[in-house]
Amino acid sequence: MLETVNVSKSFKGTKAVQNVNLYLDKGESVGLLGPNGAGKSTTISMIATLLKPTSGEIKWNGVNIVHKPGEIRKELGIVPQELALYEQLSAYENLKFFGSIYKLKGKELENRIQHALEIVGLRDRQKGLVKTFSGGMKRRVNIAAALLHKPQILILDEPTVGIDPQSRNHILEMVRTLNETEDTTILYTSHYMEEVEQLCDRVYIMDHGEVIAAGDQSDLLSILSSEDTINVELSMVSEPFVEQVNMLEGVRKVEVANTGLKLIAKKGSNLISELVHLADEHQIQLVHYQTESPSLEDVFLHLTGRTLRD
Amino acid sequence: MGSFIKKDILLFLRDRKEVVIALLLPLVLIFIFNFAFAGLIDDDEIELDLQLGLVNKDQSVAVKDELTEKLIEDGDFQPEEATVIAEQALDFEPAEIIKNSLENEGMDQWMTVHPLNEEQAKEQVTSEEIDAMLVIPEQFTVESLYAGITGKSPDVSLEYRLTEETMSNGAIYTIITGIIDHLNYQFVIGQVADDNAVELIEPKGGVERLGAGEDFTIAQYYTIAMGILFALFLSMTVASKTSEEIRLHAFDRILITNSHPILFLMGKMVSTFLLAWLQMMLVFALANVLLDVFPDRSWAFWLGMMLVTAFFALAVAGIAAFFTSISLRITNLEAAHGVLNLVIMVFALLGGNFVPRFVFPGFLQKMSDWTPNGRTLSILTDWLQYQQWSSLIIPSIILTSFGIIMTLIGLVIYPKRGRES
Repeated sequence: MLETVNVSKSFKGTKAVQNVNLYLDKGESVGLLGPNGAGKSTTISMIATLLKPTSGEIKWNGVNIVHKPGEIRKELGIVPQELALYEQLSAYENLKFFGSIYKLKGKELENRIQHALEIVGLRDRQKGLVKTFSGGMKRRVNIAAALLHKPQILILDEPTVGIDPQSRNHILEMVRTLNETEDTTILYTSHYMEEVEQLCDRVYIMDHGEVIAAGDQSDLLSILSSEDTINVELSMVSEPFVEQVNMLEGVRKVEVANTGLKLIAKKGSNLISELVHLADEHQIQLVHYQTESPSLEDVFLHLTGRTLRD
Repeated sequence: MGSFIKKDILLFLRDRKEVVIALLLPLVLIFIFNFAFAGLIDDDEIELDLQLGLVNKDQSVAVKDELTEKLIEDGDFQPEEATVIAEQALDFEPAEIIKNSLENEGMDQWMTVHPLNEEQAKEQVTSEEIDAMLVIPEQFTVESLYAGITGKSPDVSLEYRLTEETMSNGAIYTIITGIIDHLNYQFVIGQVADDNAVELIEPKGGVERLGAGEDFTIAQYYTIAMGILFALFLSMTVASKTSEEIRLHAFDRILITNSHPILFLMGKMVSTFLLAWLQMMLVFALANVLLDVFPDRSWAFWLGMMLVTAFFALAVAGIAAFFTSISLRITNLEAAHGVLNLVIMVFALLGGNFVPRFVFPGFLQKMSDWTPNGRTLSILTDWLQYQQWSSLIIPSIILTSFGIIMTLIGLVIYPKRGRES
């Protein structure tokens, strides 16, 4: 359905995206993960035909949309990270404007507006000016505006940034419903790993403008199949202590967490006695020790050496 | 395109600050400028020192014979009758009456008449040594007497030349029309057409007939000037919303709807046209209601105002198209605002929106005519005085052409994808 082939984009000689290859099949829900500056938004802008790639092809049902952007535009709904709305207009006026420039009119336009408002749960607030809405409500209108023309593919660029948990849950549920009941193909980017884990069938991980890993969740987790993630809760953390932990046999990565350390170590490594001994030397009390199965967050840490929100 | 127009109008009207600036600020400024510049026009204590070149080309020596012959040949009079009438008519000497009226004792305190030949007079008008020149043409005495006797329009008329319309030559014109009225009254020929007497010829060769002119007040001048100025600002306001739309990514959302990017530009233009026209007419109407700026004016006057305002609004719409394209081209939004503000301020200064055009030196007045606001001010102040429909044609074409040229420039620099990438 959608495929990018060796897509690159440079801005004044600086490469923002390099040789990105990804594909989406109809009805799939695909996640695009990466920290700030990884190239996610640039990739999305190229898919949405807002930016022209420096090289490479983007194919929509086999047609290169770099040269024929109209082919995807009519089938594409985009929810940008920023609120692409007129704040001085009401939710209804915004949807009416965007719907009418999709050439919807009359009763059909009215029905689509009401349907989109129903999906985002804002029918009763449709006459309110957007500028008077909370952050979560604004984001929901932002999504409604992308649904008016019943797009085959919906691209959501970090749609839950900076909103309350209730609105966040509402948006996640809404995306899931669109994917499952209306068969809308989803490309979802987020900083929140758990959102991607919850919503997406497959995941692309981007860093420094490149796709560094791809696959479904089990594929990605298998990257860490030879490793364990160990959470160690401590009374305090000191730099010399962290340095010595890092030198322990089997330890591959050490990350300082809020109340202790998160270790990625060779599978089966039994580090508890060595950690107790080391903590004692540094007059640190080991409060809790737990080995857990790796998550996508761990995979990301393993691949990039940093967390998603670094 | 209707959706784009409606969106831009709504965005403007929902911005209370902009609405207040567009409607109330002009009224406040009209009041302030009216107070500050009142002396320029309304001060009764102004001393006039008018300089008029008088060219008398009427050197007829056999007036009686020529008049008799004309009465017989053109007027179907019997020879005896014609001879008697011509004899009596010799008591009137129109050219002399005009000359004496201009040079009489009361008049010479504030007007100096310089007898000149035509070439000298033209040169001095051009070099602004004299305010205006009046040419009494050949055969003026015979033709005027014949016209007075028969009630027909004369074949010759006085020529009144000037370089630029100013307070001074406007005053001279008023004096001359007064003398002609007096002359007509002496002939007791009320049936003589109004256009029989004075013809105004500009040095470039254009001929304009003037009706009965009225003075305009400084309040009227500034009402028009402020209406025009804030309509110019409005073009910037509407266009600069483009920057806002880019910042908010609403423009991106418009682009991916697959609607033609030109519709966005056209929407800006049409909404600017409508808003500029409405804004100016509201300022004129409010100034009239609140400050009694245009008292006792006819519907025809207001119709003319609406028409000229519409042509200026077309020019403003063209400017909005140009500004919109600039906003899309310049990625630094602050810089874009700065450029647009600068253009407007240059237009405003040159066009006479702050300092009255008629106090400008000649070259600045000429430059002023090249700005749409200066040209419109000129048309509307003429309209205030003479209310001649024919005088609106050429300036309206110029304003429309300006709007078209600005639109074309806007289209040429408009990014192909709607936005540079």
